[in-house]
Amino acid sequence: MIGHMLETQELRKTFGTGKVALDRVSFAVRPGEMFGFVGANGAGKTTTMRIVMGVMQADSGEVRWKGAPLGFAERRRFGYMPEERGLYQKMRVAEQIEYFGRLHGLSPAAARKATGDLVERLGLTERTKDAVESLSLGNQQRVQLAVALVHDPDVLVLDEPFSGLDPLAVDALAEALRERARSGVPVIFSSHQLELVERLCDSVGIISAGRMVASGTVDELRAAEGRKLRVVVADPEPGWAQDLAGELTVEGGREVLVTRDDDDQRVLRAAMRAGRVEHFGVERPTLTEIFKEAVA
Amino acid sequence: MSALLLVARREIRTQVRSKGFIVGLVITALLVGAAAFAPKIVGGPDSYKVGVVASQRLQMWGDTKVEWQDYADEDAARRAVLDGDVDAALVGGTKVLTDGEIDDQLGLLLQSAHREAQIGAAGVTVTPLDMQSVGADTRYQKTRTGIAVVLVIILFMLVIGTPMMVAMGVVEEKSSRIVEILLTSVRPAQLLGGKILGLGGVGLINLVVAIAAGLVGALASGLALDFPPGMAGIVAGVIVWFVLGYLFFAAFAAMLASLVSRQEEVGNVLSPMTMTMMATYGVAFYSVTDPTGTVATIASFVPPFSSMVMPVRAAAAEIPFWQVAASAVLMAAAVAAVALLAARIYERAVLRTGARVRLLDVVKGR
Repeated sequence: MIGHMLETQELRKTFGTGKVALDRVSFAVRPGEMFGFVGANGAGKTTTMRIVMGVMQADSGEVRWKGAPLGFAERRRFGYMPEERGLYQKMRVAEQIEYFGRLHGLSPAAARKATGDLVERLGLTERTKDAVESLSLGNQQRVQLAVALVHDPDVLVLDEPFSGLDPLAVDALAEALRERARSGVPVIFSSHQLELVERLCDSVGIISAGRMVASGTVDELRAAEGRKLRVVVADPEPGWAQDLAGELTVEGGREVLVTRDDDDQRVLRAAMRAGRVEHFGVERPTLTEIFKEAVA
Repeated sequence: MSALLLVARREIRTQVRSKGFIVGLVITALLVGAAAFAPKIVGGPDSYKVGVVASQRLQMWGDTKVEWQDYADEDAARRAVLDGDVDAALVGGTKVLTDGEIDDQLGLLLQSAHREAQIGAAGVTVTPLDMQSVGADTRYQKTRTGIAVVLVIILFMLVIGTPMMVAMGVVEEKSSRIVEILLTSVRPAQLLGGKILGLGGVGLINLVVAIAAGLVGALASGLALDFPPGMAGIVAGVIVWFVLGYLFFAAFAAMLASLVSRQEEVGNVLSPMTMTMMATYGVAFYSVTDPTGTVATIASFVPPFSSMVMPVRAAAAEIPFWQVAASAVLMAAAVAAVALLAARIYERAVLRTGARVRLLDVVKGR
């Protein structure tokens, strides 16, 4: 499959209360790319995804797909999992998945086949005839995922798909998403689990108070952060780091200096004069650190 | 299959499978079927059994049938009266035995028949009076009123019950947020239209079963013999009026229901609709008692009152066809207007979850 790019351009949204929800939010997700969308609660992740899925209108800006404004017919080929999960509680599992397949434009036979495959892969074979309300929360989540995947979507948009899942279910879902991405589908998901985002995603967008404060691959974000040095000195002379800019902390008799000083050799010499150097190296910031820095 | 039909099919399936639907259907059928026997029970008998001992059977006039039963002697006749085998016993052509006071009508019949027999015996021939009505044909009046009452009750139950299901469905989808997924692949008008169509189909099944039960009951009880001419037209009319009334109130209900996000709020937000419906019902019931009066005549043209009053008028009295047609056209126009408004409001309000949305805000597009 030849994938296509999904883009948002300068999305703006102001709510009736006058609160600016989105302020020129732009990002692009390439074919086969997993895009992690992170931000504090209320930062605008859900609003952005709802606008992408057409259940909310932006005041200005647009969502583009295959290089043109995204329309209803193309969006029908998207898969969506909203933040607040919704299923027909009294409807049977297989019937429900099949129904959504039909609504997304599948033929009766194709919908039945896709449902059968998904039910088996998600381990719901025993429960196909049960009403959704009789399922455990974890299994309901699986049905929700099946509803988003049944029509083999061109794009996946998932709002907090990992929330409330146990570690095994997280792995299973991560694998399912990776597989879709490998087939050329752009996948966007939001999450508060930054380690997970770092592990899974090719690129990340950080949103804060309605603005996209950083986006790109994790390596690009790290590069933008600038290089940091971390030095650990045992039993140093007091005041050895006075001339060096940075953060000095004491950890059990050792002093730890984290600095953005470009002259690494000068830093090393100062440390060696002060005491025994136990660690000296370039710090790779985690996504969590990048995130905290970006939204600060 | 279009999204509209897919949605409609899901609604029908879901309802038809539920226990409530089957139970409701059986209860409706039993009640309506039983109602067909009511006139026979309330209206009193129209045939009598009279025992005869040592006397001639009397010649009876009129519609009332009398079945004669011979007894050997007065004692046997007395026992038959006490056992309830006969309503009365004529003994020796001069005496009538009954258990308690004699039935008024039977008493009068026997008296006049006896009188005529005696006059006849004296050689005078009595020609019975020829009764002619110069006014409207009122032979079917009682049956017509009965049919009209039953129709109002059935129409009311279905026209209030089915839009209620539409409202509950709208809120169910909104409160569970499933509407957010649905609307990425279905347009709001298709989702709403499919729901109204599907549940309307369910209502129609209910109506047809109720009518069938009524007709079967009427055949079984003999009431069908008293049916006025044009009964088929009355039945067809009821179905058309149900469809029009249902569409009006269903669109009205869906529009209001889309403003709230919780099932508990449905009753409250629907009150403008339920009040309109109660008023319609009130006027319709009043029209049963006075189907040719000014109130009934005017109301039978004003939507949405006409959706219940016109079928009542048509059942209770004979109405020129052009009046029915004109009223139906007006009602259809009202349905179209409400449906358009409902589609607009629904589209704007159904994705706004949380607090109740104010109708004015939606109309202004805020």
